[in-house]
Amino acid sequence: MAERQSAGAGLLRRLRPRRRDEPAPGDPRNIGWLYVLPGLAFYVLFTLAPLVHTVYYSLFSWDGLTAKTYVGLSNYSSAFVDSALRSSFVHSAVLIAFYAVIPVILGLLLTAALTRHPVRGFRFFRTALFLPQLIAGVVIAQAWTWIYDDNGPLNWALREVGLGSLARPWLGDFSWALPAIGTIGTWVTYGLCMVLFVSGVQKIPSTLYDAARVDGAGAVREFLAVTLPGLRGEVLVALVLTTINALRSFDIVYNTTAGGPGGTTLVPSMYMYQNAFLYNKVGYAAAVATILAVTIFVLAAIVLRVGDRSERA
Amino acid sequence: MGGIRLDGATKVYPNGVTAVEAVSLEIPDGEFMVLVGPSGCGKSTLLRMIAGLEHVTEGRIFIGDEDVTSVQPRARDIAMVFQNYALYPQMTVEDNLGFGLKLRRVRKNERERRVTDVARILGLDTLMARKPAALSGGQRQRVAMGRAMVREPKAFLMDEPLSNLDAKLRVTMRGELARLHDRLGVTTVYVTHDQVEAMTLGQRVAVLRDGVLQQCDTPQNLFHHPANLFVAAFMGSPSMNLVDAAVERDRVTFAGFSLPLPDDSPLAGETREAILGIRPTDLRHSREASPELPRITVRADVVEELGGVSNLLFLLDAPRVVTDATRAAAEAGSDDEGTLLADDQRARFCASVDGRRNVDVGEEVELAIDNTHLHFFDADTGRVLGDSTIPA
Repeated sequence: MAERQSAGAGLLRRLRPRRRDEPAPGDPRNIGWLYVLPGLAFYVLFTLAPLVHTVYYSLFSWDGLTAKTYVGLSNYSSAFVDSALRSSFVHSAVLIAFYAVIPVILGLLLTAALTRHPVRGFRFFRTALFLPQLIAGVVIAQAWTWIYDDNGPLNWALREVGLGSLARPWLGDFSWALPAIGTIGTWVTYGLCMVLFVSGVQKIPSTLYDAARVDGAGAVREFLAVTLPGLRGEVLVALVLTTINALRSFDIVYNTTAGGPGGTTLVPSMYMYQNAFLYNKVGYAAAVATILAVTIFVLAAIVLRVGDRSERA
Repeated sequence: MGGIRLDGATKVYPNGVTAVEAVSLEIPDGEFMVLVGPSGCGKSTLLRMIAGLEHVTEGRIFIGDEDVTSVQPRARDIAMVFQNYALYPQMTVEDNLGFGLKLRRVRKNERERRVTDVARILGLDTLMARKPAALSGGQRQRVAMGRAMVREPKAFLMDEPLSNLDAKLRVTMRGELARLHDRLGVTTVYVTHDQVEAMTLGQRVAVLRDGVLQQCDTPQNLFHHPANLFVAAFMGSPSMNLVDAAVERDRVTFAGFSLPLPDDSPLAGETREAILGIRPTDLRHSREASPELPRITVRADVVEELGGVSNLLFLLDAPRVVTDATRAAAEAGSDDEGTLLADDQRARFCASVDGRRNVDVGEEVELAIDNTHLHFFDADTGRVLGDSTIPA
């Protein structure tokens, strides 16, 4: 039998001799690179190159028009003592709570409720909740500017229920402007979290819920032992996406308060924009952009790292 | 005290489908009861009703002496083993085992003692720190069993616990399960679609079809005294041979053959049409059988040599018996013989003969029929005829 096999293999070899440069069957073929090329080219051209460019600009003092002067890392050193930049990052931290933490918690609670008590017509709600993701940021900003207006529906409703003393021009209020913007973020992202979580829950085997019920778990235990661990991946994705959203939020801020009043809603990307296009400090703006990018990168890495570790532990 | 009693248990789903219809069943304390039937027969639903995971539409369920019909699963003091094991993926083996006790606020040292004991019995002691993903199928299965055992419940409910294992391991675990039950003596309700599993494990077996209890008896009685055509066709592998026959006083005629009926044969002395059932093991090679038994000569169409026995398949000059019952049983069985040649409407019989007899395909064989073990069924109702052991 073995003899016959080797004879057959020898015959095949003689029929089609393998060329020296031809890879053995099953080896990766270089032609794969050709398939990657178009995507890679776009990535290099429109992502990698601008990134490198920005870092390069950040080493210069430049107004965007006249000649650049190389200043080394001095843009960075002034950034680190810039109190406006520092407070913009503090604002970002507040926005992370509104954009990431609250939506994730809300989404989890609603998902937990839905797994216990399925709601009729849920597909409609799912679409409706996801809708903010599809609307342009400018439109969202306009709509909420109107809602928050001094004579807008929010204040009208407050006055109607007798809470007129609370009514205020929300986006013009020094202490309320930032939470007001944060609320917009919550509204936008919580649908995304919800959709992620609800589809994630469907992957959890229903017998796991049965087992928990037989084991004696109530609603809270069931959530902690089955739903939450089952959604760990989705929670991570949601946290990373929404945190990045919060850190680079620009369109909503730009179209509602533009950083005001008095810089209370200034966020890094807004500050970068102001430096680059209003104050003509392109080099400094590039440094701010670089710091922001690094911050996002580090935060996302931390979130993924922590999640990964809790998975293995 | 750990017995289970079902009293007309019925489950109707909101869409109007009746999954379980008025099942009454008494499972004494310590019994190993198997619920068996084709998929969709309602056996799993019935088990989930006992567990409290499924609302009971009508009827009552008792565990011990307590009516638990509307009691939450956690208060029923039962433990369940699932087909996919349903282990908590983020917990270690140890935490999986102890979770139910933790929820029941069992004291820590007591909990540890019970978990350690069960882990030792099941050989899980070296795996305690692992997570389910790092376990083999058989190990997961043992953890699932262990999780049920540490609870020391009134009853175990098992939903096809072995069907995710490979064939060899399944046979081993089957034996282990039987030993475990002997040792613990806890009332067990076991759901399976595999009639071999049902026969080997069950002290008694309840056969279900379309949500209706067909027969509940010991495996031996189910095999030798099936109450109806469905049970006859479902239990036993290869399944019972069935053919339309005519009984006239002391003879039965089918497919051109005529056999004498012994005096104690169920229909001896009557004259009527019936469906004749013959177990493959009651058809023997002529040379192995006692000379008094009647003979028929057939031509082997297919020969399945299994070693110890050979299954001779041959065609009869009579139409295949097709009723709802036989169709349901055939769909459930693993042996879908005959369906491959659907255009051949002749009845196909199987004879299990000694594997040492060499029979070639196409060869004429003389078979002896054990006419003392013939079964007769009413063609319309499917009920067995003349079996005094079956209550009417």
